[in-house]
Amino acid sequence: MNEPRLLAGRDLRSGAETYAEHVSRLGPLPRRGAVLIDLLTASGLTGRGGAAFPVGLKWRGTARAGGSPVIVANGAEGEPHSKKDRLLMSARPHLVLDGAFLAAHVLRSRQVVLYIGEHHQMARAAMERAVAERPPHERDLVRVFSAPARYVAGDSNAAVHAVTAGIALPTTLKPAPALVQNVETLAHVALIARTGHATGTVLVTAAGSVAHPGVLEVDTRSTVASVVASAGGVTEPARAVLLGGYFGAWVDYDRASELQLDPTALKDRGLTLGCGVIGLLASSRCPVCETAGIMRYLAGESSAQCGPCFFGLRALADACSRVANQGANAQDLGRLERWASEVAGRGGCRHPDGAVMFLQSALRTFPSDFAHHSAHTARRTA
Amino acid sequence: MPNTVLWYTTRGAGAVSMVLLSAVVVLGIIGTVRAQSPRWPLFLTTGLHRNIALTTLVFLVLHIVTAVIDPFTNLGWLAAVVPFSSYYRTLWLGLGVIAFELLVAIVVTSLVRGVLGQKTWRAIHWLTYAAWPIGIAHGLGTGTDVWSAWFMVLTAVCIAAVVGAAGYRFLAGPFDPLTTAHTAFRGSVDRREMP
Repeated sequence: MNEPRLLAGRDLRSGAETYAEHVSRLGPLPRRGAVLIDLLTASGLTGRGGAAFPVGLKWRGTARAGGSPVIVANGAEGEPHSKKDRLLMSARPHLVLDGAFLAAHVLRSRQVVLYIGEHHQMARAAMERAVAERPPHERDLVRVFSAPARYVAGDSNAAVHAVTAGIALPTTLKPAPALVQNVETLAHVALIARTGHATGTVLVTAAGSVAHPGVLEVDTRSTVASVVASAGGVTEPARAVLLGGYFGAWVDYDRASELQLDPTALKDRGLTLGCGVIGLLASSRCPVCETAGIMRYLAGESSAQCGPCFFGLRALADACSRVANQGANAQDLGRLERWASEVAGRGGCRHPDGAVMFLQSALRTFPSDFAHHSAHTARRTA
Repeated sequence: MPNTVLWYTTRGAGAVSMVLLSAVVVLGIIGTVRAQSPRWPLFLTTGLHRNIALTTLVFLVLHIVTAVIDPFTNLGWLAAVVPFSSYYRTLWLGLGVIAFELLVAIVVTSLVRGVLGQKTWRAIHWLTYAAWPIGIAHGLGTGTDVWSAWFMVLTAVCIAAVVGAAGYRFLAGPFDPLTTAHTAFRGSVDRREMP
C-alpha cells in the first residue's frame, strides 16, 4: 500500500509547511517542460474536483488550443461535506503552488489564479503566506480570487467566468483560454513531476456516522470499509454510503464497503469518487428524508439560467418532500422516475444532471423506503 | 394509385402540420407565462414544446416532399425553396415557403442557442408570431380542403387556441419567475470590483 504522500511532513495540526521545509523534504521544483504532459498521461492521474477527467488529456488539449491560458487552482470547495481541499491548502500550500507553477510553465501561461472559497479563511491565509515565500518570478504570476459560497461556483466554467469577468456563473458563451484544476490534482502533479510515477493516493473526507469525521489520505486501492476503519469505525450500524458527495450516488453499505476508491475503477462501475466525500448514513436515519433535504438544497443552488434546471429540480424536490412529509404515494413516486429522465441533459451546465443522478441513485438504493415511507417530520440532512 | 397516395399525403401532412404548429405555439406561450401546477410542472411544457416542434418539421418536410415529387402537380424543387416562384397559386404557395423557412430558422437557432446567445435567439424566436399566421394563410389560400367542414373546424380551433393564448400573454403582462430567481442568484455570485 502507498504511504501518504500529499500530507507527509510535519504534523497537520501544526500549521502550514513553510517553503524551506517543503524544499528540504521534496527538493526544488523540476523544470520538465512538455514531457510532463506525457508523465501525467502515463500516471493515469484524473481530476479530483469531481469529474475525474484525465489530467494529461486536459493539459494536452489546453496546450494545443495555444494562446496564454489562465491557470485556475480550484479551491472553491462548495461541496457541503468536503473538507479535503481546504485542509490541503491550509497544511501543504506549496504543493498546490508547485502544481500551478508547473502548469503555467508547461502551458506558457503568465497568470495563476488561486480560486479559494470565500469562507475558507485559514486556507486563503496559508496560501497567501506561501505565495509571499516564493521567488518573485513565481510570486508575480499569482492572483487570489474569492469563490462565492455557492454550489455552482466550483464548476470549472463558472470558475473561469469568475476570474475573467467577476461573475461565478456557468455560461455557455465561449470561455477564455484556461486550465482549471482542483487543488488536490495540482498537488499530485507536483509529486508526479518529481518522482515520475503516480502518487497512488487520494484525499477523502469521511463524514456522517463515523467516530472521527475528517480528511484522510488513503491508497487508491483501499476500500470504503478501510476508510471507515481509519476514521475510527462507525458510531452505529451503517445503512448506506453517499459516495462522491451530492453529485455522487447512494450505495448500499454492504456493497460499498468492498469497493475500491480508485476513481477510474469506480467510473467503470457507473459510480464516482467525485470530490472524495464518503458520507455514512446510519440505519437509524431516514434515507427518504435525507434525500429530500439534499434535493431541496440542490434545487436552491440552480443558478436559474436554464428553465429545465430551475423548474425541473424544484418540481423534483417538491415531489420528494411530499413523499417525505406526507408519506409515500404512487403518483409522486411515478413522477420522480419520469421527471428525472426529463430533466437530465437539459441545462447549460451539468448541475441538473448531477442532481438527477443523485436522485436516481436514491430511488435505486432505497426502493422500499420510498414505496412505504410514512409521514414524519423531516430530519436534519446528513 | 401512387399518385393519389402522394396527393392525399400532401394534404394530410399539411393539416397535421397546422395542428402541431399551433400546439407548439400554444405550449411556447404557456412556457412564457410560466403556467404550471404540481401535476404538470413547467419543464414538461418546455420539453413537449421542443419535441412537438421537431415533429412538426418532420410533417412539413413530408408535406413539401410529397407535393414536389407528385408528378401530377409538376411543381419542381425551386418552387419549394424560392418564395413566389411557383406557377401554381404563386401567392399562397409562396407564403407556405416563407413560413417553412422561418420555422427552419427558428428551430436551427434554438438548437444552437448556446453558441448564439440568449438575446439573438430570442429575437429570432419572436418570428414565430409571423410564421404561424403566414402558415395559416397558406393553408386557407392553397388548401384543397378549405371548404370541407373538418378542415374549417380544425383551422378555427387552431386559430382560437393560438389567438386565445397570445391574447392572454399580452394582457397578463411580463411575469418571469426565472428572471427574478436568476437576478437574485447572480447578485450572490457577482464579485465584479466596483470602480
